[in-house]
Amino acid sequence: MTLVRHEGGAVDVAPGETVLEALLRAGVNAPHSCRAGNCQSCLHRAIDGAPPPQSQSGLTDAQKAMGYFLPCICRPTTPLTISRPDDLGASLEAIVRAIDPLSEDIIRLRIEADGFAYRPGQFVELSVGEDLKRHYSLASHPEEDSLLEMHIRLHQDGRMSRHLAEILKTGDSVRVAGPSGSCFYEGVAKDQPMLLIGAGTGLAPLYGVLRDALSKGHRGPIRLYHGARSGNGLYLSEELQALSNSRDNLAYRPCAFDPTAPHGGDVAATALEAEQSVSDAAIFLCGGENLVKRLKRELFMRGASLKNIRSDAFSPAR
Amino acid sequence: MSSLYERLGGEGAVNAAVELFYRKVLADGRIAHFFDNVDMESQIAKQKAFLTMAFGGPNNYTGADMRNAHKRLVDKGLNDSHVDAVIENLNYTLRDLGVPDTEVKEVAALANSVRDDVLNR
Repeated sequence: MTLVRHEGGAVDVAPGETVLEALLRAGVNAPHSCRAGNCQSCLHRAIDGAPPPQSQSGLTDAQKAMGYFLPCICRPTTPLTISRPDDLGASLEAIVRAIDPLSEDIIRLRIEADGFAYRPGQFVELSVGEDLKRHYSLASHPEEDSLLEMHIRLHQDGRMSRHLAEILKTGDSVRVAGPSGSCFYEGVAKDQPMLLIGAGTGLAPLYGVLRDALSKGHRGPIRLYHGARSGNGLYLSEELQALSNSRDNLAYRPCAFDPTAPHGGDVAATALEAEQSVSDAAIFLCGGENLVKRLKRELFMRGASLKNIRSDAFSPAR
Repeated sequence: MSSLYERLGGEGAVNAAVELFYRKVLADGRIAHFFDNVDMESQIAKQKAFLTMAFGGPNNYTGADMRNAHKRLVDKGLNDSHVDAVIENLNYTLRDLGVPDTEVKEVAALANSVRDDVLNR
């Protein structure tokens, strides 16, 4: 039995041996702790081959769909190619097809990346130069759009922002790696209530998830909250308003900071006040780290199960 | 006589208890601050590993694992009163789930057995 590691070397897994035991025996410094399939310290991802279902015990539906498994309880019967959980893998060349403004400081970048498979709501690593890389969520839908679409906030002194605003143009070549992230529709039941809360360009993955849910015939109520620092930041609001008017099961609630609005227009406070019963909902949270952390904890304390909360926290570039 | 883990209901019982237990811990002002900057997903997996151990289920924990996992917290002031609070929350969780007193006491004793390792002494 052979196990091929993503970093290169092949490791043999002896009959009855676990992947973790094989990695450690081969001298690989693989993190681990309980060795009983509980603590998830050893989490890895199979990028080729199917890990046995028992080795995915306790993982979320999204993780299972992406091939995550626990090496300490994995006794493979077929070859696997595995990678560390945060490894995005090799990058692919892509061509810039459009750059247009969505608001004062948010642009939409659309690139053509042939053969790039993803689920709406996942994120990619975009590289525009040797050492200029950032993670961006995808707002596009692989079956409905031919291009990958990203919503990017331009920061005044950001290197990537300046590059996007001043240098990059249609026809240029960039590279894209991934996808990663578990913010996608898979694992949601068609009648389950969906609660989508995002701020700023956190709308991008939610927009992808929303379109995926609708195209897959989601029947349960869907409530989308989008927060912005000003009314101008509520991009795509006309499209979303029109979409919600045409669908019985979709409610769209834009929230812009405004001292005279309820809760000052804070999207988290607004959503938490309106959403008292969350224990059955499939929840998607996307935005800055503080917002995501606060909402995740609050919604969990109110009875939402962590396995029903998918989140993507944006961290500033280092 | 079946094992404590079997009497409690095995992995299903751990799954039923883990989120309830974690909510109680996060709502407990005596210990909640130790969890302020942790990733909730990886933390709940650790809680599950802890409950499996306390329920007498399959685990391969060593004293050294317990020491390493808590060393940073001991440096931040983790002491007996916090371990007491965790075990108290565990007791309330099991009572909420209708676990009989005898088993609750057995679980508390198992949880208590790692106290010195957790506190690095």
